[in-house]
Amino acid sequence: MHKQFRTRLMAQIAILATLVGSLQSVQAQPVTYRIDPVHSFIIFRVKHLNTGFAYGRFNTFSGTIVVDERNPANSSIELEIDANSVDTGNSQRDDHLRNPDFFNARQFPKITFKSTRVRKINDTTVEVQGNLTMRGVTRPVTARVTFTGKGRNQRGQEIIGFETTFTIRRSQFNVNYGLNGGLADEVRVTFAVEGIRQ
Amino acid sequence: MSVVLSSALTAGLAALAAGVLWLLGWWLRRAHLWLAPLGVSLAFVLLYWRIQGRPDFPPIDATQWVFWHALFALPLGWLAGIGAAYRWVWVWGALLGTLWLFAPPFYNLMQSGFWSNAAGVAYILSFALGAWLLMTLSAPLGDERGTGTPFLMATLGGVGAGLLFYGAKSASLAQLTGTLGAVGSVGVVLSLLRGFTLGRGAVALILFLYMSLWTTALGFANLTVGQLALLYLLAFTPALQLLPALKRQSPQVRFALPLAVLVIVGGAAVGLAYNAYMAQGSDHYSY
Repeated sequence: MHKQFRTRLMAQIAILATLVGSLQSVQAQPVTYRIDPVHSFIIFRVKHLNTGFAYGRFNTFSGTIVVDERNPANSSIELEIDANSVDTGNSQRDDHLRNPDFFNARQFPKITFKSTRVRKINDTTVEVQGNLTMRGVTRPVTARVTFTGKGRNQRGQEIIGFETTFTIRRSQFNVNYGLNGGLADEVRVTFAVEGIRQ
Repeated sequence: MSVVLSSALTAGLAALAAGVLWLLGWWLRRAHLWLAPLGVSLAFVLLYWRIQGRPDFPPIDATQWVFWHALFALPLGWLAGIGAAYRWVWVWGALLGTLWLFAPPFYNLMQSGFWSNAAGVAYILSFALGAWLLMTLSAPLGDERGTGTPFLMATLGGVGAGLLFYGAKSASLAQLTGTLGAVGSVGVVLSLLRGFTLGRGAVALILFLYMSLWTTALGFANLTVGQLALLYLLAFTPALQLLPALKRQSPQVRFALPLAVLVIVGGAAVGLAYNAYMAQGSDHYSY
């Protein structure tokens, strides 16, 4: 009886080990996640008249994240933002931001980011290098991206979360309005993303 | 340096550049034909550089074409002063020139999909023909003596700046228009000199640059077709002085009538645009 129980236990452990092994081999493949715009946020802040910070966000964007846990260098991200969706909580300021003083959104309706290199820093952080294109100008940007969690949504889909904050100089993208004291050159961008596994 | 002081310095530098060349042209007489349009061009290049920074060439951002217009339209300014026997060269040259100058900036809006190809072509043709008519009909104002013409040109800059600021919601285009008006006001002072005239080329070039700024505000910012049409009609008011009926009037009447139209109609338009701007919401935004 005792021997029979031990044999069954061993068999169950073997099956479990096989299952875990096969799951790990699935996870080792690069996985593509579609950015969930409802649960992702792109916010920015810039200093106004060298006094207070003005905050804004983009409401419409899309993109994909490819995660390779075994080899992070194979990971990547592509993001496309609708410049017309800028939202600072003031419709007049939003109109001004869409105009040639800032985004010139009629000529350049999209702001894009495409990663060129991903380097692992530690178990929860990677450094992402990529090209940010805004107002027709492409400049390299480097950001430290932190893994914020993994789980399942209400539909049972696998989801993953990351967050990053980095600073750009808007003058490098020909966004020069108000540089002489009106608005700071440095713009801090925070990108908090939730991706849905494809 | 404060924003106001910086803006005043920009306008002052541009006005000084134009003033020196206009004065030199007046002093050298025969060189006025070349120096007067060059003064406008140099002044605009300077003020653009101070307000917007160094532009690319060819421009990635189509709104930078207003800077290059100041240089590329300079030959049109020179052509405007050509002798009466060859004036047809100026008229046809201006037509071809405006068509060539208005196509590159607005082609970008067809490429981005903001305008359909048919709409884009229609806009470009309208802008070019409109600028051509304005330049060729108003250029003779450059031969007029007295403070009238430069004063009206400067006032046009003020009205244009107001509409671009409140109507188009573009502070930089408004600043460029306003400072171009300030450049025109230097002519008011210089026209107190005996025998001083702005010159056909300078008048044609100033009006072309106004058109370049206003059409850019329609294409890339929020200026409406109605507001552009109003600015365009107001741009003709200085030329009212050339009408035969007004030519018979006293200098005071020839000056006062266009000024009254410009200030009353233009001022009302700026006032309406300001009210519409403020009525958009209680959340006041002061740039």
